[in-house]
Amino acid sequence: MSTHQHHTKDFLFTYVFSTDHKMIAKQFLITGFLMGFVGLIMSTLFRLQLGWPGQSFEMIELFMGSWQEDGVMAPDKYLSLVTMHGTIMVFFLLTAGLSGTFSNLLIPLQIGARDMASGVLNMLSYWFFFISSVIMLCSLFVEGGAASAGWTIYPPLSALPQAIPGSGAGMTLWLISMSIFIMSSLIGSLNYIVTILNMRTKGMSMTRLPLTIWAFFLTAILGVLSFPVLLAAALLLVFDRSFGTSFYLSDIYIGGQVLDHTGGSPILFEHLFWFLGHPEVYIVLLPALGITSEVISSMTRKPIFGYRAMIGSMMAIAFLSFIVWGHHMFLTGMNPFLGSVFTFTTLLIAIPSAVKVFNYLTTLWKGNIKFTPATLFSIGLVSTFITGGVTGLILGNNALDINVHDTYFVIGHFHIVMGLSAIFGMFAGVYHWFPKLFGRMINNKLGSMHFWITIVSSYGVFFPMHFLGLAGVPRRYYTWSEFPMFENMIDINELISVFAIAAMIGQLIFFFNFVYSAFRGPKAPMNPWKANTLEWTSPVEHFHGNWYGEIPEVYRWPYDYSKVDKNGDFIYGEDFIPQTTPLGENEKDGGAH
Amino acid sequence: MPTIVSDNTHYKDEFRRKNSKPLLWIAMVSIVMFFGGVTSAVIVSQGGGGFIAIPMPIEFTISTIVILVSSLVFHYGFIAIKKGNYNLAKMSVLITLILGLFFVLTQYLGWVSLHDNGFYLAGKESTQESSFLYLITGLHVVHLIGGLLSLIVVLIKTFKKKYNAEDTVGMQVSLTYWHFLGGLWIYLFFFLRYSIA
Repeated sequence: MSTHQHHTKDFLFTYVFSTDHKMIAKQFLITGFLMGFVGLIMSTLFRLQLGWPGQSFEMIELFMGSWQEDGVMAPDKYLSLVTMHGTIMVFFLLTAGLSGTFSNLLIPLQIGARDMASGVLNMLSYWFFFISSVIMLCSLFVEGGAASAGWTIYPPLSALPQAIPGSGAGMTLWLISMSIFIMSSLIGSLNYIVTILNMRTKGMSMTRLPLTIWAFFLTAILGVLSFPVLLAAALLLVFDRSFGTSFYLSDIYIGGQVLDHTGGSPILFEHLFWFLGHPEVYIVLLPALGITSEVISSMTRKPIFGYRAMIGSMMAIAFLSFIVWGHHMFLTGMNPFLGSVFTFTTLLIAIPSAVKVFNYLTTLWKGNIKFTPATLFSIGLVSTFITGGVTGLILGNNALDINVHDTYFVIGHFHIVMGLSAIFGMFAGVYHWFPKLFGRMINNKLGSMHFWITIVSSYGVFFPMHFLGLAGVPRRYYTWSEFPMFENMIDINELISVFAIAAMIGQLIFFFNFVYSAFRGPKAPMNPWKANTLEWTSPVEHFHGNWYGEIPEVYRWPYDYSKVDKNGDFIYGEDFIPQTTPLGENEKDGGAH
Repeated sequence: MPTIVSDNTHYKDEFRRKNSKPLLWIAMVSIVMFFGGVTSAVIVSQGGGGFIAIPMPIEFTISTIVILVSSLVFHYGFIAIKKGNYNLAKMSVLITLILGLFFVLTQYLGWVSLHDNGFYLAGKESTQESSFLYLITGLHVVHLIGGLLSLIVVLIKTFKKKYNAEDTVGMQVSLTYWHFLGGLWIYLFFFLRYSIA
């Protein structure tokens, strides 16, 4: 075969500079997981400090060197760790790792296209992501350490090297890395949008698309509209830091010196940052929700309840996400009336979110559920989304937020929705599409073990944080054993840290399972889950073009599960009807209304 | 089997023709959001009060005329290609490129003029208004350089007669982007006149 003859010659173009979307998906996945692993280790390290403040961990000094002098973490290094943990997890794992992997893998396969609209741009998108990851990791090793102003990098702390060592070269590299990351994300999003709009196969109308595609589509639109504003924010910060402008800085007296900057305002940065920052969390969440829709439907052998409502809710979430950013800024001295406007829009966004949760639950209800790790993680997402979502209602209220802003309450909230819900969606996706990615089956027993350890220990980490937050414990503090008012919280912190270590160990089980199964797992059949969507009609082996011969034509929506005729028997004898099966006589397309 | 597999790799040209323009349109939306972010920053900063008006250099007005004329010229060249008139097309694209470079020159001269009148990009003597003025015009030039690069590619392809009445997608992409840069400049020019000048 001609492709095999070229196989060894084109190693570089087959594996490294591939323009094939399936290979690029794997590249995003591996890089995302590697970065996620780094972020996970960072969180375990600073949880050691928080659970046992001031205690010496000499073993860790072996790995951390001067960051853990005499076995105790240095305070400014603690701040670097929380900053980098946040940056890596939000951007590198949950944005690039989640969107990059599944959008790339599934969009062409599920819409019936040979590849993405532009293979070259796709390849560039990955390599920019890779380069930005390398630069971000390099920033850990510069003198002064990595960026330390929190993942939100508010000036003046992030603008002045005199303020904290990490705001020197570390912050500069952070900004360079993120600028390249933003380019990667934008190029990727361009591709996803154009592919979905332009490259669908015959019969694949927008209302016959799987919900994963709708989710990736809306995520990409969010990205295209919001990431450029972060780029603008970062650019202005670069100028303030390196060229002496005063966009964000004004009237600063530091280290006995009066600085020249006048006229700027840090609030400007907050506006620009959060204009991305809020859509960003929906960029993180929507793909996970899309994946959950797909997994729950195919694993309960039922059509997703309220397909159009699901699309409508995702559109509503996407639209509303642009007009809620002020809820991150309630304590900046804003006019209470403006605060109430942002409260109103923030509460509105709870409605489509609740519609989605309701639809997941009704789909699960009385379903013929097949409990794979993917199913477990999807149901876990529904659970954690409810838990995390309700605390969002409190945080979204400008009066109640006065008490809980910048406390552990916020950390509990966003970790449960992102660190649980979104990552659960990613895990569900990895387990469900593992056969498609690697042509092998991942071990279900280890997967279930991974799920139960993760959900129990993660809830153990983040649930107590709500109590800490309500009691007033501030976020990003190196220690609170110095404050008598928090003395009775020390035990809770220790408990949280114990759970955090347990959660970390649970992930090691997953990494082992993932790597082992990718090489030695049992070979996968073409359609192991007996699902309807087009990716399962493409052969297991990967090749350019996805289908031998013509691209399949589509005749129905993707949710014809357990469709019965007048006698109550399955039409065509099976509990699933692939999209490529033409409609029978008198049979109506389930997606049509 | 081999022939069917190799068929799967011949979709690249079809993809290029079908997808180049939509890709550009979404990219332009992103660029609009970027400039939207920077211009909103001006408005928010102005809200803090104390903006002192800066007289806009006359060179920027010349820039405006130059870029508008260049759009007309480029469009004329595009129409010529569709009629098969390669010589006219070559001239048009070349003149557009020269006008584009002239635009960059007028921008540079505008910055020189600002500098000579005591308005700086950065440093102790600079103000937010002056920083924004340099930055916004500078960012537009950065995006224009992309347009100039696409013009060079179009010029080479026109000389090599790579376009014909049926396939002018590459030129259309460059043309659309060039018109976009002109439109963007008009918005920025009037925005800066209104907010800073």
